[in-house]
Amino acid sequence: MAKEKIPRQPMPEQAPEDRARNFDEVPYGYTEETAILEASRCLKCKNPKCVTGCPVNVDIPAFIALVQEGKFIEAAQKVKEQNTLPAVCGRVCPQEEQCEKLCVLGVKDEPVAVGRLERFVADYERNSGNIKMPKIAEKTSKKVACVGAGPAGLTVAGDLIKLGHEVTVFEALQETGGVLTYGIPEFRLPKATVQAEVDYLKKLGVKFVMDFVVGRNSTIPELLDKEGFDAVFIGTGAGLPAFMKIQGENLVGVYSANEYLTRSNLMKAYLFPKYDTPPIKRQRVAVIGGGNVAMDSARTALRLGADVTIVYRRAREQMPARNEEIHHAEEEGIKLKLLNNPVRIIGDDRHRVVAMECIRMKLGEPDESGRRRPIPIKGSEFIMELDTVIVAIGNKPNPLIPQTMPELETSKWGTIVVNEETMQTSVPGVYAGGDIVSGAATVILAMGQGRIAAKAINEYLAKK
Amino acid sequence: MKLTIDGKTVTAKEGETILECALRHDISIPHLCTHSALSPFGACRLCVVEIEGMRGYPTSCTTPAAEGMVVRTNTQALQELRRNILALTMLEHPSACLVCDRRQLCEQYRPEAEKAGRTTGCHTCNNKEVCEVRVLAEDLGLSELPVPPSYHQRPLERAEPFIDRDLNLCILCGRCVRICKHQHGTAVIDFIDRSSRTHIGQAFERSLLDAGCRFCGSCVDVCPTGSLADRYAKWYGKPDATIETTCIFCDAACALELGAKRGKLITAKAVNEDVPICVLGRFALPEFLNGTDRLRMPYVRVGEVLRETEWKEAIKAMAAKLREFVGDGFAIVCDTASTIEDRHIFKKFTSEVMKSKNYIEIKPDARGVSRTSLPKGTKAALLTGNFIDAAQLKALELLIVQDCYPSAVSERADIVLPAAVFAEVDGTIPDSSGQKRPLRKACDPPGQAKAEWRIICELARAMGAKGFAYKSAGAISKKLGIPKTDLQVERDKTPEAARDPKLRRTYFRGHRIDEKVRGLQELLIDGGSSAGAAETEHKGNFQILEKHEIAPNTHEIVIEAPEVAKKALPGQFVIVMVDEKSERVPYTLCDWDARKGTITLVVLEKGQSSRKLVLLKAGDKLAHVVGPLGVPLEIKRYGTVALAAGCYGIGAIVPIAKAMKDAGNRVLTIAEARSHYLSYYREKLQAISDEFIQTTIDGSMDIKGHAVDVIVKKLKDGEKIDCVIAIGCPFMMMLTGQETKPYGVKTLAALNPIMLDGTGMCGACRVTVGEETKFACVDGPFFDAHLIDWDELRDRRAAYSAEEIHSLGRTEPVAPHHNDNHKCMSLHRTRNRE
Ligand SMILES: Cc1cc2nc3c(=O)[nH]c(=O)nc-3n(C[C@H](O)[C@H](O)[C@H](O)COP(=O)(O)OP(=O)(O)OC[C@H]3O[C@@H](n4cnc5c(N)ncnc54)[C@H](O)[C@@H]3O)c2cc1C
Ligand code: SF4
Ligand code: SF4
Ligand code: SF4
Ligand code: SF4
Ligand code: FES
Repeated sequence: MAKEKIPRQPMPEQAPEDRARNFDEVPYGYTEETAILEASRCLKCKNPKCVTGCPVNVDIPAFIALVQEGKFIEAAQKVKEQNTLPAVCGRVCPQEEQCEKLCVLGVKDEPVAVGRLERFVADYERNSGNIKMPKIAEKTSKKVACVGAGPAGLTVAGDLIKLGHEVTVFEALQETGGVLTYGIPEFRLPKATVQAEVDYLKKLGVKFVMDFVVGRNSTIPELLDKEGFDAVFIGTGAGLPAFMKIQGENLVGVYSANEYLTRSNLMKAYLFPKYDTPPIKRQRVAVIGGGNVAMDSARTALRLGADVTIVYRRAREQMPARNEEIHHAEEEGIKLKLLNNPVRIIGDDRHRVVAMECIRMKLGEPDESGRRRPIPIKGSEFIMELDTVIVAIGNKPNPLIPQTMPELETSKWGTIVVNEETMQTSVPGVYAGGDIVSGAATVILAMGQGRIAAKAINEYLAKK
Repeated sequence: MKLTIDGKTVTAKEGETILECALRHDISIPHLCTHSALSPFGACRLCVVEIEGMRGYPTSCTTPAAEGMVVRTNTQALQELRRNILALTMLEHPSACLVCDRRQLCEQYRPEAEKAGRTTGCHTCNNKEVCEVRVLAEDLGLSELPVPPSYHQRPLERAEPFIDRDLNLCILCGRCVRICKHQHGTAVIDFIDRSSRTHIGQAFERSLLDAGCRFCGSCVDVCPTGSLADRYAKWYGKPDATIETTCIFCDAACALELGAKRGKLITAKAVNEDVPICVLGRFALPEFLNGTDRLRMPYVRVGEVLRETEWKEAIKAMAAKLREFVGDGFAIVCDTASTIEDRHIFKKFTSEVMKSKNYIEIKPDARGVSRTSLPKGTKAALLTGNFIDAAQLKALELLIVQDCYPSAVSERADIVLPAAVFAEVDGTIPDSSGQKRPLRKACDPPGQAKAEWRIICELARAMGAKGFAYKSAGAISKKLGIPKTDLQVERDKTPEAARDPKLRRTYFRGHRIDEKVRGLQELLIDGGSSAGAAETEHKGNFQILEKHEIAPNTHEIVIEAPEVAKKALPGQFVIVMVDEKSERVPYTLCDWDARKGTITLVVLEKGQSSRKLVLLKAGDKLAHVVGPLGVPLEIKRYGTVALAAGCYGIGAIVPIAKAMKDAGNRVLTIAEARSHYLSYYREKLQAISDEFIQTTIDGSMDIKGHAVDVIVKKLKDGEKIDCVIAIGCPFMMMLTGQETKPYGVKTLAALNPIMLDGTGMCGACRVTVGEETKFACVDGPFFDAHLIDWDELRDRRAAYSAEEIHSLGRTEPVAPHHNDNHKCMSLHRTRNRE
């Protein structure tokens, strides 16, 4: 059959030399023709493995079949039955670890490009302006509060509003989206995409209360007892940056990735002085860490005109970032300094960073995480001259809500403890999901947990 | 004519005054109203001397030197007299910093001036680093004022292009009025009103613009105080390098003195103080050269896009392409904004390397417009500016643009090269009479930009040509036989554009100068350019209900924010965004009313964000107010609590005083103000404290000194204080901590680092307390003042000052509508020295 001969359709994208200096999205997306071609590669398995790989169980073969028939709008609606934020997931999900990893075609050949197709149908529907509203169940007069407008909170809001409940999302920042807005940069996830998804929820009737910090403006018990909410979902994410606890870490020019990215993405510092938040325009930047956050920080710094090096203490194989991101970063001219660990950061008399001392590492025996443990090589210290250090070694859960609600059970890492079947916390009527439960994880896991929580909340409300 | 000054025999010239003669012989006599460019005035009287055989103390600036005179300039009596004269002058000036006992320590902690709206002391004065008054005060040992000073409550004037006036600093020396008259024949500005209301201004309350100001900046340059300021340069402080060069905005070729700081151009003024220069030379250059959209990197077109590249690549690409166009199909077009050396290289390259006769040099017209068309048959062109109509470019097969700013032309180019121009290069330029003038490099070009001759020489060499091995512009001038050139310092006529700003040029290399320089848009010559003022949006939910300037530069703002009011506790703060493009800036909650749903902030105008906030009126809305944030202060029974408050902290201390009192403490509140007119909330604090003490730095009200002085005195006297809480600027809080430490009294300070989210998400607010890193927004704002790393805090707070200053300098002029209380403060205040 000719069908097998069709290769996986590549994603057209901006050339590295161009995109390294602009904030436009890197991949352009499939055209209708390539989408149909790619869709035709799908074997439409009777017992699709891919679906089991998807944390929210999108009916992948069904939506791909609709793409193949050219029914793009219908395909989009198919995806949306399971996934509230397809345009986002199509862009930032690690499909190579999930659906595409299990695709049967992948055994001999390359898997079907599920993520690219998902992105295509979502964009197609949005650009067509032809967004069909789903059916909304009869009003139940039950009120649910979602704390945090990140992917977890938005998923819960979307699911519960369709079930007829009244949903209010409380968000501390001035914009919705959580990490999708303040963390992941424009060139990887255009903010308009996130905004469109949120607008859709608003159209469905979800109420958004911005500039509202739960724990300060109201505690969760107050939301339940005084504000008349019947259930609360906590999706406050892992917004507490970790530092290395080395000398010089508070010098001017040392940033957490959160700060660096927030300045650029949320506060639009790269448009300074049109926007008032000043950008961090420096020459030589080192980013510490090997995850997606490190890649995003490095690529943002590059776009702001810096010469960028990523410093990571293990080897390339151990880098937690998506392969595609590392690849993109290298293509754009970012240098990797692997098996190196910072020892201290050196400043001048005005507390400004001028250099960083590192030590070389070698890999030893595997540790608890199964990754080979990096060991410092004695006497191999060296100095890197630079003016900016971005620390991207991870985030811890934000402690504000647990602090103001002692009865909420938390783990020793500060995450909220839940029943994984229902995402219910130690307090009845209070559910949690996303990074606040799993530690810094992924968008789709946050959504998956949101899904489970929404289902459980619906059942809880029915009984109440 | 010989005379003796301070025992030294000196020779005076005919008609010289004693002051002039002394200064010429390096004998310094203090003086303020005299200025080298001006005739004597005798107003400040600081230059008094003793002359043998003459009674009294004549002013040396008005007394002609005479044969055989014996003059003493430095007796104790004279110093005493001068000190008194200066002290009197300082009575209508924000002079507290001059007589502050901790002047040295303050200078050490913050040597540069901090930005502010109205200036209320040296540490927020743009003149600080170059102030003649400060030097005098130091030299004369001024340490106290005879009576409390007064503050005129004049609004900050910043509605004019380029010039900010804070006449509260004016000492009426008259230098500005005299220089304006000297420069232009009639003075645009004058002394207005009489006696105590006298001030500098324009007749009939006209604006400078309407009064015919030429914006030559001479008045700004001679003002000895911070009263008159160049808005762009204002907060950069003193340049670390000055260089004299020639202005090439037009061919009047005025001699400019340029000041740069860390390689960045910040000021420009006339070398010859006797002849004014025009607004372009005086005010436009730094902003023009520092434009954020300058070309910084070479670009090569790849398909649809211009791709950033390295010089090596760009030169290689150019060399390869140009080889195909050798002959008359190639043209170079430049104008006289390129130096003679640049143009020589362009010409040589055209004829020797490209074998073309089409070297085209445009002489701009009176407006600075340089436009021409390409010769028929041109296939490849190199343009050094926006000189050719887009339609004509379509026919080209290769277009190279070498310029300072992008333009309609560079957008169509195949290769774009960033050029260093004007004050960024060395070279020679002819003036209108053909006389050659020097151009000298005063600042660094942006990014990778290079001198034009250098670019073309590199290109020629890449194409294998000989005779392009120059190492400097000087080497080219030498080859061309250009003799050493001089600046045009002396001139008999005022340049046209300095007589009438409408006669200035509008274009530089085909770019509208006013598109790059904000202030010029107010000084329209014609229809103006498309670049309009930025629109401001105020569509939030948080309405301002009341707004008062309760003390100079200190604004009390009542905002509708029910969610905040409902939960606020003492010591907490809010984060405010004025509009969707604003920064997120924290302000401490000074009061709230849960029932009415309102909160009260006390805001000091500092930089861009607080300025935006204080320029709003009652009725306007804020885009975002988030809070209450931060850990509330632990309110419990300590015994005696001393609250030390300064600047906005006087407002912030109110809820703390109330709560501490309610918790059963003896509350001792000490408010510190630089001078009596800066104190506010006295009655309020008196009512809620067991003991209220006002200190003033200049001693004009109650006790002289800082708040901590009172605390230390009480501790010394054996009074028991169980807890000290300090809120104010970092210097004041640091001081409080340092001086209570020996007594081991628990001392808390409310820290105010730069914040972003205020919820613990970013870490921007990191501070070092003891050995630990803390996030001020979620672990603070209160920390042990004995453990805080204050130097680090200061430097972290200043992390973006350079960027902020640049953006402030570019902000549009604003009308002073926020000032509704102009009434003069009375001189007669209670005064009671320790
Ligand atoms: C730079 C970066 C890049 C990433 N790249 C990827 C990627 O490519 N693919 C991927 O799958 N994942 C990626 N991740 C991880 C992913 O973004 C997160 O796992 C996901 O956003 C978690 O969602 P969430 O809803 O749990 O929390 P968040 O997205 O963190 O949202 C929480 C929201 O709650 C708000 N909030 C917090 N506290 C309160 C409070 N007390 N009251 C009110 N509101 C509150 C916050 O302001 C925030 O808006 C990345 C993360 C970062 C930082
Ligand atoms: S002009 Fe400014 S710096 Fe000089 S004394 Fe006055 S306030 Fe101080
Ligand atoms: S800028 Fe020049 S013309 Fe205008 S007031 Fe000052 S001295 Fe006079
Ligand atoms: S504005 Fe300056 S120059 Fe003019 S009178 Fe006042 S202090 Fe003197
Ligand atoms: S008149 Fe103005 S533009 Fe012309 S040279 Fe003098 S300062 Fe420059
Ligand atoms: S302001 Fe961001 S953590 Fe404090």
